[in-house]
Amino acid sequence: MVSRAGQRATVFRERLRLDWRRFEKFMQLLLHNKLAVAGLVIILVFIFISVAAPLLVGSYPSQFDRTTSLQPPSTAHPFGTDWQGFDVLKLVVYGGRVSLLIGFVSSAVAMLLGTTVGLVAGYYGRVTDQLLSRATDFFLVIPWLPFVLILVAILTSSLATIIFAIAIVSWPTTARIIRSQVLTVKERQFIERARAVGSGNGFILRKHILPNVMPLVWAEAVLTISSAVFTEAFLSFFGLGWKGPGAVESWGQIANEAYTNLALLRGLWLYFAPPGIFITLVVLGFAMLGYGLEEVLNPALKRRR
Amino acid sequence: MTVYLIASLNFFIVQVLPGDPTRVLLPRGSSNVTQGGSDLRAQLIRQWGLDQPITTRYVLYFANLLQGNLGTTITYQKGGFPVAGVIAPRLSTTLVLVGLATAATMWLGLVLGRISGWRRGRPIDVSITMTTLIGYSMPSFWVSLMLIYTLAFVLPIFPPFGVQSRNASTFDPLTRVLDQLYHYFLPVVTFVITNVAWFSLTLRNSLTDTLPEDYMLTAMAKGLTEREQLRKHAMPNARLPVLTASALYFGWVVSGAIVIEEVFNIPGLGQLTWDATRVRDFPLLSGVFLVATLGVVVANAIADLLYMYLDPRVREA
Repeated sequence: MVSRAGQRATVFRERLRLDWRRFEKFMQLLLHNKLAVAGLVIILVFIFISVAAPLLVGSYPSQFDRTTSLQPPSTAHPFGTDWQGFDVLKLVVYGGRVSLLIGFVSSAVAMLLGTTVGLVAGYYGRVTDQLLSRATDFFLVIPWLPFVLILVAILTSSLATIIFAIAIVSWPTTARIIRSQVLTVKERQFIERARAVGSGNGFILRKHILPNVMPLVWAEAVLTISSAVFTEAFLSFFGLGWKGPGAVESWGQIANEAYTNLALLRGLWLYFAPPGIFITLVVLGFAMLGYGLEEVLNPALKRRR
Repeated sequence: MTVYLIASLNFFIVQVLPGDPTRVLLPRGSSNVTQGGSDLRAQLIRQWGLDQPITTRYVLYFANLLQGNLGTTITYQKGGFPVAGVIAPRLSTTLVLVGLATAATMWLGLVLGRISGWRRGRPIDVSITMTTLIGYSMPSFWVSLMLIYTLAFVLPIFPPFGVQSRNASTFDPLTRVLDQLYHYFLPVVTFVITNVAWFSLTLRNSLTDTLPEDYMLTAMAKGLTEREQLRKHAMPNARLPVLTASALYFGWVVSGAIVIEEVFNIPGLGQLTWDATRVRDFPLLSGVFLVATLGVVVANAIADLLYMYLDPRVREA
């Protein structure tokens, strides 16, 4: 007879195998989706650039690396130098770190908020649903730029407040989508069966409903990273980017400094153009992957084909 | 109800969240500066009623709001101006810009969406979808500045900023209008590039839902031309979801207008937001936020009415 521990190990291995097979199947579907693959490639390139920044362009410019400010492009500085005399190419390569970091973390926070609200609203229904849905709709119509600006301006801009503010404007879409999915999932028979054998609400939510809406959460998470990077760019362009000791300039901040230092009027377009192009590519990459994931994961959309 | 909630949120953000407005006005490290025997900071706190309990301030805030009093600016033109007075004259400029831009965006978006929805999966659809999506991913501050650089600076075809020529007062009325349109061209183009995806993509998707319906097959069997099928049978149904989606679009209009006005130096609410953010003028910033959100709520109400007009099922009910 097999020991109890051995039995559990077998069960675990079997589950892992099934998960792996599901993952393979999912990847197959995903890799057939041209939109998703193109998005994935763009994202991987930018993650590589950000992670390998020290190898590609050397360390982040410090006070000792100052040269003449606002130089036109040269062989030593392919994009010229910024208003402090730092190499623009270096700044732009490192800028991806901030944008991606803020994008990932605020999306994660927004998912936590949005999924919780969506689950609770959809599952409990009645007054709870009424209240939460009202709140969701309310946050959905608020114009996001002034809202984020006012939040960060008042809370003073640090990494944490920026992430918090972006998460606050990003969660409602997710909450709405998750809620409507929960509404259909909770009518399915296995929920009734689970209740019949005595499962509590918390258990059903965690073990039966959450796994069924999780794929949608992933797709939403990717789309939210896209909008979070976008929001951060605007925030930084308005001069409310991450500042303080150890701060790295984001693409939005570089664009802001190029703008306030009249880079374009001086003809230094290589100071201004690259950060914008990179913002566009990253936002586009995550959006394409997100739409691709949605098409693969959401059966309602698949019917359209 | 929504209006009340918005006003409350506005109050909450400015008054309750940590962060001390007096710090903005006083120079750094001067919190204990005394002037004429009284603490300057304490004086400010008393003057703004910051020492009152929160419930009192909440009631006062609404009492003022109902009388159209949004407080006074801290810094704008040396401060002391009523916020409502600063905002009001700029509102019309913003409305003109937003109106022109929305009309252009909607028109182009519906045209493009109709083409790509009808030809789904074909090269023309792929190129329209990708182009609009790229435009949608571009930050508007970047698009507008690049447009200024290329079309007003390198090739000086369009004026780089402002809403009218410097000698506009000498023009006759018609020329003046044309002159203004000429100045609004680049801002509107920026807006169209960054927002056209809202309409083209939603129309494309809703057309894709409509086209497989039975009544479309009937229309084809009746021998209608493609044009008639589209115009009489597909579009009336497909445009309803577009109207619903526009609720989200209005929130973006505000954000787009803020950036575009600043970059093109158009004296509207957006430029005011930029200035208020730079100097941390909280009363002004919260006033702008309140007005912008109210605008969005009103726009949504109009969209709802339009929906009722366009959808006979809702109209009858």
